[in-house]
Formats: sequence, C-alpha cells, structure tokens
Amino acid sequence: MERTFERQIKEHEAMLHKLCRIYATPDERQDLFQDIVIQLWKAYPRFRGQSQFSTWLYRIAINTALTGLRKKKLPVTIIASTELPEQAYDSNMDEEENVRQMYSAIGRLNDVEKAIVMLYLEDRPYREMEEILGINEGALRVKMVRIKDKLRGLTKNG
Amino acid sequence: MELDDLKGTWKNESELTKLNADIMEIIQHKTYGPLAAMKRVFKRQIVLMATIPLLLIATNANDVHAVFTSVMFWTYVVFCMCVVSFAYKSYRIVQHMELMEPVKGALARQIDLLEKRKRWELAGLRVGLLTFVALTEIVPYFQHYRMLDYWHSLPPALRLSAYLALFAMQYFMNRKIARRNIGVHLDYLRRLMNEFDEN
Repeated sequence: MERTFERQIKEHEAMLHKLCRIYATPDERQDLFQDIVIQLWKAYPRFRGQSQFSTWLYRIAINTALTGLRKKKLPVTIIASTELPEQAYDSNMDEEENVRQMYSAIGRLNDVEKAIVMLYLEDRPYREMEEILGINEGALRVKMVRIKDKLRGLTKNG
Repeated sequence: MELDDLKGTWKNESELTKLNADIMEIIQHKTYGPLAAMKRVFKRQIVLMATIPLLLIATNANDVHAVFTSVMFWTYVVFCMCVVSFAYKSYRIVQHMELMEPVKGALARQIDLLEKRKRWELAGLRVGLLTFVALTEIVPYFQHYRMLDYWHSLPPALRLSAYLALFAMQYFMNRKIARRNIGVHLDYLRRLMNEFDEN
C-alpha cells in the first residue's frame, strides 16, 4: 500500500507544491507540504474510489491548507519573481512582469478564491470543483467571473 | 494579462519543477495541524482528569478509608469522569473528522463541533463549580465536621463574597482559556465560511 501511495503522490507532487506556494510563506511551505502528505496518508486506507483520486486528493490538500496555517498566516502571500518558473524568464520582460503581477494579484485574493483559482488553473471542470469545494456549479461560475474582474483590477493597479 | 493566459505558465511549472520529496520519510512524521492540536488538548484533558483522583488517593494514602467514604471525593470523581468522557467523545469526533469531504462541508462540521464543545465546556464548568460550592456548604453538617470550625465559622457575608469572587474569576478565566484554546481557531473558520458564502 505504501508504494502505491508513494507513486500516486509523486504523480501529483508538483500540484501539491504549487498549492503550498499559493497558501504558505516560503518558510511554511515545507511544513504545509508535509502536513498535507501526512493527512493524505492517514486518509488513504479510507479511499474507496467513490470519487477520482485527484478529487479526493484536492479535497484533503485544500482542507489542510485552509485550516492548517492559521497561526503564522500573512495577510498577503506574494510570490516573488525569483520563484516563477524558468519559462517566464525565457520570454520577454513584459511577459515576465505580467506573470509576476498576476501571481502577486492571486496572492491578494482570499483563501477560498485562491482555491478556486488554483483548481481553474489546474483545468478542473466545474463539476469536479463543486465536488471538491462543496460550492454549487452556478455559484462557482459567478465567483469565477468576479475573481477574474478582481484580478484584472489588481493587476491594473499593480 | 488575463487569468486564462496564466494557464500555460502554470501547466509548464509541473514539467519544470524538479521535486525530490521523500514521501515514505514524510509519512513517518507527526502532523501539527489544527486537528492534531485539538486531539492533543483532548488527550491532555483525559490524562489530567484521570490522574487527579489517583493523586488525591496517593496524598491521603495514610487514611484511604476516609477518602473512600468522603462525599467530596466521590463528587470529584464523578466530575472528573464527566470531563474525561466529554473529552474522549470530542477526541473521537475529531479523529473521525473527514478531511475527505467537500471543503465547505468539512468547515461547517468543524465549526459546529467547536461551538458545541465551547458551550458544553462552559456550562459543565459552571455546574461543576456550583456543585462544589453547594457541597462545601452542606457536607460539613454530615461529614468533615472539622470544616465547621474553620470555613463555616466565617461570617456568611464573607463566604458569599468569596464564592462570588470565585464565580467571577472562573467566568473570566474560562473566557480567556476558551478563547485561547478554541476561540481563535473558531473565528478563523467562521471567516473562511463567510468567504465561501460571500458573492
């Protein structure tokens, strides 16, 4: 069971790290990642395949991220430009600045909005987002429109 | 730049990020999340409350018979047992708290559990203190007669003031402790819930 778990986590490891980057400060990321993996491991024997593995994993990861960092939480999580993927540097400077601004704007969203954005960037369909977050599809679509507007405003204002 | 334009960069990160976390090593660690913290609080309560009656017996080892025939002692045992069963019940609830359910539902369940716990804890402690005061006043007329020469020899007004001070102290201490143990986390969960509900 341990080996299967390890393999499945490895498949989603990058996503877990991205989630930690959205929710935690650089100092807290490793702790959050560790906490998520432990929670996943503890819940793993009860995973019966009623939902997709990814849906199950997102639920536990987001639940842990939302409730696990209350103590040292910073009001705004800004992702530094040095943490952006290499590809951003290969593009022109404007593009790099735009990506930096967008990540910075995401860092200013509230915790629930961050979860929605992360799932959206992960290309999860609204139906799965509903299963993960417990917000109905209609409300999610409305929220998504508002989040996009909010991000537009935030990136314009720097 | 629009959010949709970020999707490409976001996806490429999966391919670019080189990660070498040792999953097998990580799962050997303890978790320090809020659920684990709550479990630790409940565990501490169980151990503490189960130990106190034993300590009372140990400190009165030279006259165990007097301890076992004391109404105060048995009242205390009953009180400790109530606290232990309440803490154990809370522990089991947290242990089975499913992080696997949708995030909003899991939050609502946590809030409900903590609110109930806070209410019951405050009510239980008040009832406990009231019982203690009633027993202190009544029991010496049937048992522990020596108390009549000490505490009961004081003027009733003074005793009443002491009890009132005790209630006041308990009120403020409980609020402070409940706020520290549960309140801060509860406020945070409520704020998260509001974020879910706001449009």
